[in-house]
Amino acid sequence: MEYRLSFALLAGMMFVNNLLWLFFWSLFFNRFPVVNGWELRDVMMLWAVGAGGFGWASVLFGNFHRIAAIVSSGQLDVYLSQPKPVLLGVLASRMSVTAAGDLLFGLAIYAWVGDRSLAGACAFALGLLISGLLFMGVMLIAGCLAFYLGNSEGIASQVFNSFVSLTTYPADIFRGMARIALFSIVPAGFISYLPIGLLRDFDPAFAAGALAMAVGSCLAGAWLFGRGLKRYGSGNAIAMRS
Amino acid sequence: MLALRTRGLSKTFKVKRKEPGLGGSLRSLFRPQWETKPAVRGIDLDVEQGETVAFLGPNGAGKSTTIKMLTGILHPSSGEAEVLGLSPWRQRAELAYRIGAVFGQKSQLWYHLPPVDTFELIGRVYEMRRDEYARRSRELIERFELGPYLHTPVRKLSLGERMRCEIAAVFLHRPQLLFLDEPTIGLDVVVKQRIRELIRERNRSEETTVFLTSHDAGDVEELCSRVVVIHHGGLLLDEPVERMKRDVLNRKTINVTLADPVSDAALALPDGARVVRAEGRTLTVAVDLRRTAIEQVLATWIGRVRLEDITVEDPPLEETIKHIYGMRQETEAGA
Repeated sequence: MEYRLSFALLAGMMFVNNLLWLFFWSLFFNRFPVVNGWELRDVMMLWAVGAGGFGWASVLFGNFHRIAAIVSSGQLDVYLSQPKPVLLGVLASRMSVTAAGDLLFGLAIYAWVGDRSLAGACAFALGLLISGLLFMGVMLIAGCLAFYLGNSEGIASQVFNSFVSLTTYPADIFRGMARIALFSIVPAGFISYLPIGLLRDFDPAFAAGALAMAVGSCLAGAWLFGRGLKRYGSGNAIAMRS
Repeated sequence: MLALRTRGLSKTFKVKRKEPGLGGSLRSLFRPQWETKPAVRGIDLDVEQGETVAFLGPNGAGKSTTIKMLTGILHPSSGEAEVLGLSPWRQRAELAYRIGAVFGQKSQLWYHLPPVDTFELIGRVYEMRRDEYARRSRELIERFELGPYLHTPVRKLSLGERMRCEIAAVFLHRPQLLFLDEPTIGLDVVVKQRIRELIRERNRSEETTVFLTSHDAGDVEELCSRVVVIHHGGLLLDEPVERMKRDVLNRKTINVTLADPVSDAALALPDGARVVRAEGRTLTVAVDLRRTAIEQVLATWIGRVRLEDITVEDPPLEETIKHIYGMRQETEAGA
């Protein structure tokens, strides 16, 4: 590894950053021990499953939230000139270093407060899978807008920030239209309800729906990407792979 | 056998038109105006296997767009193309195993990794057998003299070293057809020369078809047997390089720095050579090679003036293409 110290610092800082948020939540739950049925442990598992899912997706497929920038700056040329599936090549050709901290954080929190039985471990692994796939699917769809709208980096960045924010709050604090949006347009609810619907009180319908939404959004993103390649306009920016 | 065939290959881009200034930006926000910009207009081209073709044109002529369509990166607006018997945009992955592409401005090497890691990855991307990869990479590393910097991160290499690695990397999977888009851009004379030698050697030993764009007349003269010129997206000229050299690349420029101020002795030149600029101790002379040779011009100075430095240059390719364009218009007007 070329930048060992940088890696350790970045991953470590992300770990500490996430831990600080849990510290604030612990202050809140000290005053209000139960909020709409959620306890501190549930919020900790929400962060574990959210950060962990984002972590593995970013470590293995680090470009998933950079699709818009890659498309609009014409950086697909190198991938298109190689014989492998373009989308897979793009996604896997970058590893996010800070996200290693997110993944470690997720695993550490699970080890601390999670259900460490075999069934609990399987449910947590499924939660990580759903969470990571949803992050990738949503960002892939947002990133593919670049094929149709031109420069959509700003929109993709907004979607990313909103999605990340919404996955860090308990799903049950949202009501009415906000809740409907949370399980449809911006499907962050399928992550933020995982601590209850999958990990605490297993709800097969919710688990199946979350998995279907996660897989479906990835498939929709891949389809949009494939269609978008026909509209790809390349570019003349000087580019290096990093 | 044909390596490449295009018929009516065209590409248009839809471009937003914006007037300058803040007002223009606001108007464009509420009433956007679009225009269709043709980048490539109906190109018909046949290239035989083993040929080395220079694909030339001024900036914006459509060279890179054509190469991107031929490699499957861009989908054409109309027309057909076959590269090694395959449709580039319909059979992109299948074709990619058999061709190679170097884009001078887009690197396929990982910036923070040493070239050896990229080579390893390319070997796997192209599904090379391990023994074949080991043999081939060893051969290319030796021929391209990459040993000393094979384990140095790419960001620490000079541009010349990086380009040698880029070109070696593209030869790894033994492409039958090589697209080179400005492979010598920004390189010094020595490195350019070395890269040309290496490409020529691969063309001869492996019969690799070479399709090259460049702004450097040296690349064309030393590497290619045929030249195709495009201008405003359409074909302007398609002929052997030898004929182009005779008809068009027949001028050189000599830049001389004298030990003393320019004198009458320095200005006494043979027919076919004329002074373009004389200032202080520097002299620029244009030589028409059809009428006189470089050595004849130099011979007039030897023993009569004291020379400090001499360089001999080709005219810029843009100038040559303008010249061809002018000749073509004259011919058409005459007809």
